[in-house]
Amino acid sequence: MDKKHWQSFGELNNSEAFQQSAKNEFNEELPFEADDKGFMETKTPRRDFLKYLGFSTAAAAVAASCEVPVKKAIPFANRPEDIVPGVANYYATTYVQDGDAVSVVAKVRDGRPIKIEGNEASPITGGGTSARVQASVLDLYDGARLRFPTIDGKEVTLEAIDKSLAEALPSAGSVVLLTSTINSPSSLEVINQFKTKYPTLQHVTYDAVSYSGILLANEATYGKKAIPSYRFDNAKVIVSLGADFLGTWISPIEFAKQYAVGKKLSEKKLDMSKHIQFESVASLTGSNADDRYLHRPSETGAIASALLAALGGAGKDTITDKDLKAAIAKTAKELSEHKGEALVVSGSNDKHVQVIVNAINEAIGAGGKTIDWSSTNNARKGVDGDFAALVESMNAKSVGALLIVGANPAYSWFDAEKFKAGIKNVKVSVSFNSKADETTQLCKYVIPDHHYLESWGDAEPKSGHFSFLQPTINPLFKTRQWQDSLLKWSGATADYVSFLKTYWGAKVGGENGWNKVLQLGVMGGETATSKVLTDLNIVPATVALSSAAYNAGSLSAAVDATKAGQTGIELQLYQKIAIGAGQGAANPWLMEMPDPITRATWDNYLIVSPAMAKTLLGIDLDNNGQADSYEVNPPKHVVEIKANGKSIKLPALIIPGTHADTVGVAVGYGRDAKVGRATVDEHKNTVGANAFPFASLSNGTVSFNVASVTLTDTKDKYPVALTQTHNIYNTDQGNRTEVMKELTLAELKKDPTVVLDDREEEAKPFGGLANFRKDATIYGSYDKPGAKWGMSIDLNACNGCGACVVACTAENNVAVVGKPEVLRFHDMQWLRIDRYYSGDANNPKVVFQPLMCQHCDNAPCENVCPVAATNHSSEGLNQMTYNRCIGTRYCANNCPYKVRRFNWADYSGADSFPHNQDELNDTVHLMNDDLTRMVLNPDVTVRSRGVIEKCSFCVQRLQEGKLKAKKESRPLETGGEGKKWDLKVACQQSCPTEAIVFGNVNDKKSAVTAHRSDNANRLFYSLEQLHVLPNVSYLAKVRNREEEQGAEKKEHA
Amino acid sequence: MSVKYESQLREPLVYGDKTYHQVTEDIIRPIEAKPSRLWYIGFFVSVSMLMFGVYSVYREVTYGIGQWNLNKTIGWGWDITNFVWWVGIGHAGTLISAILLLFRQGWRTGVNRAAEAMTIFAVMCAGQFPIFHMGRVWMAFFVLPYPNTRGPLWVNFNSPLLWDVFAISTYFTVSLLFWYSGLIPDFATVRDRAKTKLRKHLYGIASFGWTGSTKHWQRHESLSLVLAGLSTPLVLSVHTIVSFDFATSVVPGWHTTIFPPYFVAGAIFSGFAMTQTLLVVVRKVFGLTDYVTMGHIEAMNKVIVLTGSIVGIAYLTELFMGWYSQNKYEGYTFWYSRANLFSPYGWSYWGMMACNVLSPQIFWWRKMRRNLFVTFFMSVIVNVGMWFERFVIIVTSVYRDYLPSSWSVYYSPSIWEIGFYMGTFGLFFTCFFLFAKYFPVIAVAEIKYVLKITGEGQKERMGTMEGKLADEFAHEYAH
Repeated sequence: MDKKHWQSFGELNNSEAFQQSAKNEFNEELPFEADDKGFMETKTPRRDFLKYLGFSTAAAAVAASCEVPVKKAIPFANRPEDIVPGVANYYATTYVQDGDAVSVVAKVRDGRPIKIEGNEASPITGGGTSARVQASVLDLYDGARLRFPTIDGKEVTLEAIDKSLAEALPSAGSVVLLTSTINSPSSLEVINQFKTKYPTLQHVTYDAVSYSGILLANEATYGKKAIPSYRFDNAKVIVSLGADFLGTWISPIEFAKQYAVGKKLSEKKLDMSKHIQFESVASLTGSNADDRYLHRPSETGAIASALLAALGGAGKDTITDKDLKAAIAKTAKELSEHKGEALVVSGSNDKHVQVIVNAINEAIGAGGKTIDWSSTNNARKGVDGDFAALVESMNAKSVGALLIVGANPAYSWFDAEKFKAGIKNVKVSVSFNSKADETTQLCKYVIPDHHYLESWGDAEPKSGHFSFLQPTINPLFKTRQWQDSLLKWSGATADYVSFLKTYWGAKVGGENGWNKVLQLGVMGGETATSKVLTDLNIVPATVALSSAAYNAGSLSAAVDATKAGQTGIELQLYQKIAIGAGQGAANPWLMEMPDPITRATWDNYLIVSPAMAKTLLGIDLDNNGQADSYEVNPPKHVVEIKANGKSIKLPALIIPGTHADTVGVAVGYGRDAKVGRATVDEHKNTVGANAFPFASLSNGTVSFNVASVTLTDTKDKYPVALTQTHNIYNTDQGNRTEVMKELTLAELKKDPTVVLDDREEEAKPFGGLANFRKDATIYGSYDKPGAKWGMSIDLNACNGCGACVVACTAENNVAVVGKPEVLRFHDMQWLRIDRYYSGDANNPKVVFQPLMCQHCDNAPCENVCPVAATNHSSEGLNQMTYNRCIGTRYCANNCPYKVRRFNWADYSGADSFPHNQDELNDTVHLMNDDLTRMVLNPDVTVRSRGVIEKCSFCVQRLQEGKLKAKKESRPLETGGEGKKWDLKVACQQSCPTEAIVFGNVNDKKSAVTAHRSDNANRLFYSLEQLHVLPNVSYLAKVRNREEEQGAEKKEHA
Repeated sequence: MSVKYESQLREPLVYGDKTYHQVTEDIIRPIEAKPSRLWYIGFFVSVSMLMFGVYSVYREVTYGIGQWNLNKTIGWGWDITNFVWWVGIGHAGTLISAILLLFRQGWRTGVNRAAEAMTIFAVMCAGQFPIFHMGRVWMAFFVLPYPNTRGPLWVNFNSPLLWDVFAISTYFTVSLLFWYSGLIPDFATVRDRAKTKLRKHLYGIASFGWTGSTKHWQRHESLSLVLAGLSTPLVLSVHTIVSFDFATSVVPGWHTTIFPPYFVAGAIFSGFAMTQTLLVVVRKVFGLTDYVTMGHIEAMNKVIVLTGSIVGIAYLTELFMGWYSQNKYEGYTFWYSRANLFSPYGWSYWGMMACNVLSPQIFWWRKMRRNLFVTFFMSVIVNVGMWFERFVIIVTSVYRDYLPSSWSVYYSPSIWEIGFYMGTFGLFFTCFFLFAKYFPVIAVAEIKYVLKITGEGQKERMGTMEGKLADEFAHEYAH
């Protein structure tokens, strides 16, 4: 039978019109509101379906919070094989920004990445992350990202740009590729391929904050222009000359992890590393040091030289300051007593200083022990002199084409004007950038780059350690990876993905091997530190640590070059943990993250010492009235800073731990508004001021120390949004040691149970600690069978870096409220890191205390709620029922830990009142646009206006973990000897030092139980005497010092 | 020789030789006359303030509590300060009506009506704050234990805020009933004198068909006694329970066992002061100086100096305990956050001390007690002081509590917070102006009740008559 059934004449005759309509049978567009900027002008392509689906699901999930009806939900017509609605997929990939490469796992829900977790398989980070890594997912959904390629600012297609450049590039003359540090082996290979097409290609590496000094010094003394692997974990004595290695120096996640190894105390063997910090402006690392000595930035070289001399080396001692002299002698003594297990690092970018530091390290036998040359650190490769030469040749009109990847010298080069003048002479300027930053704005051709979560790639953060990138979402905009462009322009037919696969093919063992490394995310590594690796039966090769041949030839010149300290006021430029060299300035999560040192958000400021505050600002912190008034009033004095013929005005914050004659200003602010709306404040003014122009070039390296600075109090005031205003826990009425317990190693050795005895004493009226829970109340106590959640935080391991704060924000949809709201103390973070000072007010001891809801078993918040909106679960959780909450705030008043956060306004758009966001600031609007809301976690309710919220112990993760164990018909496992982790809460997962341990405390073998019982002598609960019975315990902070903390305590008692 | 002896100190409660008709005339006349110009101005100002308050609340409900300057550390500020302040003011009326009725204090009759009205309005104002301080006021009905399909989900009976709900609503209901039952005979009087149909009709409804029969009077008296019996414990319980909002918490400065008596004394203190403020004006404006006499004023001033001294002792006790307990957290709150004049909120503590403890001592002098200007000035000062007291208790306790890391930035109210407070003044005075115009501001029936015994003219006549009778009696028994 060959009978044809037809439905229309068109079908019968097979007309052209019919063919067309048959082809477009399903031609309606998906319901999607087009954005205005050309980004959604094209019709919805089929392959973008997931993107749209993800978007609408996000919108639906967001809308499905308190009381708002679901607006749109599009079900799958054909469900993709690997997507189960409501179940997250995890993809191993790598966070790459400039030279930083951190192995991560991206959590993808319904087609959109929503959370970055550390990759526990990585031997470098072991699952640790930093605040910036955690916040990077928000950059993916940044509305300021470039959405299409442009030539001279006009939208063009990629084809058009390729065509235009195919003509322009070969005729341009000399081609220069300017990049930030690239440590991706395949990308370097791509550049090599490009070089075959353009043999004159010059590749210049530019780092905003470079490590030229170290690179050049190592070239001089070891013949290797590289940064070795530092092994802080092998060091018993760590001396840092201004290197903020826990915060911003080279590879802080890795170093924090290693550092914590030496700082964690075992009760069986009371032994920990000793950390001595010499610095000028209070840093995170200095705040964690056992001993901190303050000096002028200009004295760094002299100190290094004197230290070398004190160790019997060829240094000279020009230090005259008595305290500093004693400090150096003491440090030298410590170092020489621990030869082979000591390490000296320096944050100086001066080659001479680094040469002397190398000599010191040789003298103490660090090579092969705490400094490992078997694997180099590839985080930064740029040498400032190379870039300075490039700027010269640009100005000499000898650069024909400039291709820029990741570098932003128009902002971060100290002499940006010269660069800007130079780029005008460049005929062909191409920028591969995801944002129209200061440099990209100067370029003729702009091809927006993918975000790393949209990219393929690889990275080699340390030689022999590889980490891989795979896309977790289809590109949101018309962007292309820069490697693809270069490949195309070198005439290759393969795109970067196939290039990458071919590059790795044989090395990883073909397709299967490739899939395996992609799944794991990492390859190579020296030690089997990771349980994930063990679980996967991967045994990494063990590589012995090695030293390098030392050549002392350059030492005498270096020692001669050191000068005695200057006089007058000096300025030190530094990087903030969250903002870096400006990379975080457009990210609202990072801008609102309180700086660990200053506890300030959203702003750039001048750091002054308490001594200088007295003379410059007329504020005496020893005067209670003046201190109070400084603390409780956010407007701070605005100071004009003049140096090198440049001047900026910034508000001044008084930060103890800063040298009396030194002030500090963070770089990274004063960004162009096009980088993101977070860079302008509510008055449309640029946030902060760019401090890079204060830097200078000397001996081929950029120096961030500025001498001869003039400061004038302008008498103006400018409000700074601080999230913590009071910094000491002792008062005229007594030292609040129930809040925080810290002591020295000497004290602990003398009396190991001193902390425990204190607690016993406090609980004595109720029959001691053993009976405290039961007898300090008139109510009966009940058994709590099943799971009971608890957390234990080691204050010795916590360095206050703030990764957990951002992780918590990302996981729990914590609202970003903007500076005007933070100023009013309306910040919403569920987890904060309290910072307290003790001891000498000019150079205090600093302790960090991560504080979130303590989930008290006898919670004061629970019994005061009139509607029972907050109550206790059978698993020990203090839970909030948002849709029952009527917002009396009684619970917040009655919370002794002040962890409850109230929704003062409709920060999240979850409220059903029309126009009620009208009066909110730009930041809230930014966080509420449709694109940014794609980052929201659909597992966590978005809270509406008028309700209280707080840490839930990531209840969504607990539920997921419990279900996982239940499905496998086995008891829940939360770490511990030989046990797996069914769940980790967000803060715990993000912590590079594993300071936070969480789990089931009813399980006698779980990690948290062990953490508590193994450290019973240091264990304490904050405000234990209130009998609120918190479920978060802390291990007292111990400093490796000889003096007794108690001496200070008595003084204030 | 006279059998009956009356103290020289006991003044007549009603001056002038009044007849029953004159009493009615004096008190009801303002209701029947056209309101004065002054009344219109006052009413207009009050309504304007009320409208501003309504707008302030509208903003707060629409945009959120963020319209106020409260923060993560200071969860309550002006809102609850004003709540407690108004509730305190709402104490005098019921105290005067109920407790003084039970103690047979005849002098209450001159002031009880206005004092009760003040109570009702003050409690109405007070009620606005706990309602509108909620983040989600549209869910306020959650605080009522009503049957529901959520389990049923009950309210949390452990919460002092819930006790507040019951305490204040009960107090309000009983006070309202008491006040109204007293008004019934007077409304009937207005009805009977009415010249227009509308007036007759409206006051007719309001007086519930009162005929003045003996049966009615008997029931009215019994009801008054029953309500007085019911209200008496309420006077003590309401502010006790309000004090529990603080006393049962863990916040240093709130967690204090002294609070219930201290709060009740403070409430009576402020309530009497507010009554003075109003009556000193009303008795002049409405020409009721014969009914609200200097004797009344003096009696109330005595109560003020007594209760003021009680709160003074309470303040000193708190300070003493702050030191004696050796609790560093309480010590800090009492000795630094409060008693240190140079701490950020030290001014409010010393403002409170000056207004509440020091200045009322002036009333130890009889001359001052009977000075109208001093009385009026002091009555305002006392209520300013009592506002400071609540502010001190609430804000200086929470703004620096346990964790120094969470100590707050300086809190001062936003315009909308002030607007809300102003609005309750508007509500209060709008109600009071309407009350003064349409309701008998003095209990006519009750004045008549005491007129024969304590009225100036009657007393004189009675004295002579009794004296005569006694002489005759003595004479008869001499034989």
